[in-house]
Amino acid sequence: MSDLAYLSLAKGSTLVRTRALSPLEWTRALLDRIDVLDPAYNAFIAVTAERALAEAKSAEAEIAGGRWRGPMHGVPYVAKDIFDVEGMATTCHSKLRIDHRATADAFVVRRLREAGAVLLGKVALHEFATGGPAFDLPWPPARNPWNRDLHPGGSSSGSGVALAAGMAPAALGTDTGGSVRNPATCCGIVGLKPTYGAISLGGVFPLTYSLDHVGPMTRTVEDNAILFHAMAGHDPDDPTSTQRPAADGLKDLKRGIKGLRIGVIEHFYTTDAPADPEQVRAIDAALDALRKLGAEVRPVRVSPLPLWTDCNRTIHQAESFAIHEQDVQQRPQDYASLTRNRLLPGAFIPAVKYIKAQQLRAALCREMSEALRGLDAVVTLSSLQLPCRIDDAAAVAKTYDQQARLVFNVTGTPAISVPTGFSASGVPLAMQIAGRAFDEPTVYRIAHAYGEATGWTERRPPIKMAERVLA
Amino acid sequence: MSSDSKSPDFIRRLAEQHGLARALELFPDAVQTAAERGLKPLGAPPAGTSRLIQPATQFDPARFEPRE
Repeated sequence: MSDLAYLSLAKGSTLVRTRALSPLEWTRALLDRIDVLDPAYNAFIAVTAERALAEAKSAEAEIAGGRWRGPMHGVPYVAKDIFDVEGMATTCHSKLRIDHRATADAFVVRRLREAGAVLLGKVALHEFATGGPAFDLPWPPARNPWNRDLHPGGSSSGSGVALAAGMAPAALGTDTGGSVRNPATCCGIVGLKPTYGAISLGGVFPLTYSLDHVGPMTRTVEDNAILFHAMAGHDPDDPTSTQRPAADGLKDLKRGIKGLRIGVIEHFYTTDAPADPEQVRAIDAALDALRKLGAEVRPVRVSPLPLWTDCNRTIHQAESFAIHEQDVQQRPQDYASLTRNRLLPGAFIPAVKYIKAQQLRAALCREMSEALRGLDAVVTLSSLQLPCRIDDAAAVAKTYDQQARLVFNVTGTPAISVPTGFSASGVPLAMQIAGRAFDEPTVYRIAHAYGEATGWTERRPPIKMAERVLA
Repeated sequence: MSSDSKSPDFIRRLAEQHGLARALELFPDAVQTAAERGLKPLGAPPAGTSRLIQPATQFDPARFEPRE
């Protein structure tokens, strides 16, 4: 059971294709593990066991009949409960959506169903992909497998937790100000926020209109590139969806990074908002590792981090309030307090401030593009601090200002969070690698080379202790 | 913003204009804090940024044509 729990998507897919592993056996093992572990980790809102077993059985029969559909065929995954799955509620982890029923699959859910993937269930998030880990909602917040008392990151918290706890090899997340990369950072896994428009937002409950991204979450970089490839592609029903062919993140994945030029935005975490020394030491070691792999690393400067935060926050608050206005007006008590506190400021943003934030966004995009001139990618921290306690609402609220992820929601360019080691207390540390628009292949190439050289993605949380506690 | 913009009376009137009377009644501190955050001016843009040449949004009328 434990072998299948942490089986990578890439390896599992190969075993399934060659019929050395039954998708049914893989699915059953994960469902058993979910059954044992989820009461302690609260990753799931709904486990779709019956559907998963039927899909796995169907995949097994098709592959046995010589009809292998591709790398996701027979591969289990979970979806943040913000993606529509036909016939199921898309709760968004909210009391306001308990009675919802989706009439069709979200675009990416449909893509994965057509690819033969196996949906294990829908997983927890911060209510409506904002707020934080709340204790005043119909479902409890997901718990960090590395330490149940600590914030697992969010808003795609259940996705990060399910991966780190070995309950699934692949997960879908969304990211408006870092919601794929934050749980990736806190849970020690890999999360990509792709280029805006690369993956359809169709059938995903929006948090904003112009900052939302759908992203793949996995335990390794190679797995992430496989999942990205399965999710990306044009959706004619989504006006934000690009018509460019999806970039192939696997093509150059194993080419190494000798000769690549990588910028490092140090001032975000050294002077703009000084970070925890353990995060800084880890990224410094990571930069040394990139140099040893043959990359040229040099510092670059852009506007100070607080300006990026200001820009993202203004657009985020104005757009999310436009979506939630009626419910905040009529039933504000039905939101978690953390969510309500995040949504309310949008009511008071003057139109001119929103317009100026859009103008600022354009200026910052140009600035980042200039900074990348002559470079292949940039690197910076993801979280500036270590995860706080999950029940410390004031500390959770502060985390929104203690991160450098929202920068790449402003630019809409790809950014991946990869583990860079562990703190003295055993908490995962991470950095971001960010590239030019639609250059996911270079981002993956650097992340893969670094991951292979350091092996940080191979460490597992102390789940066995939790199993004993449960027993 | 002037200090008047933080006064409870100003915030109450503004909240009511935005249909937030119920939220104000149930969560007065949260509404007060939200108003202060929302009304806080945006930071200065990078040097050389012009307010005149960058459209805030782009409008494409062709997008609304029926698809083939």
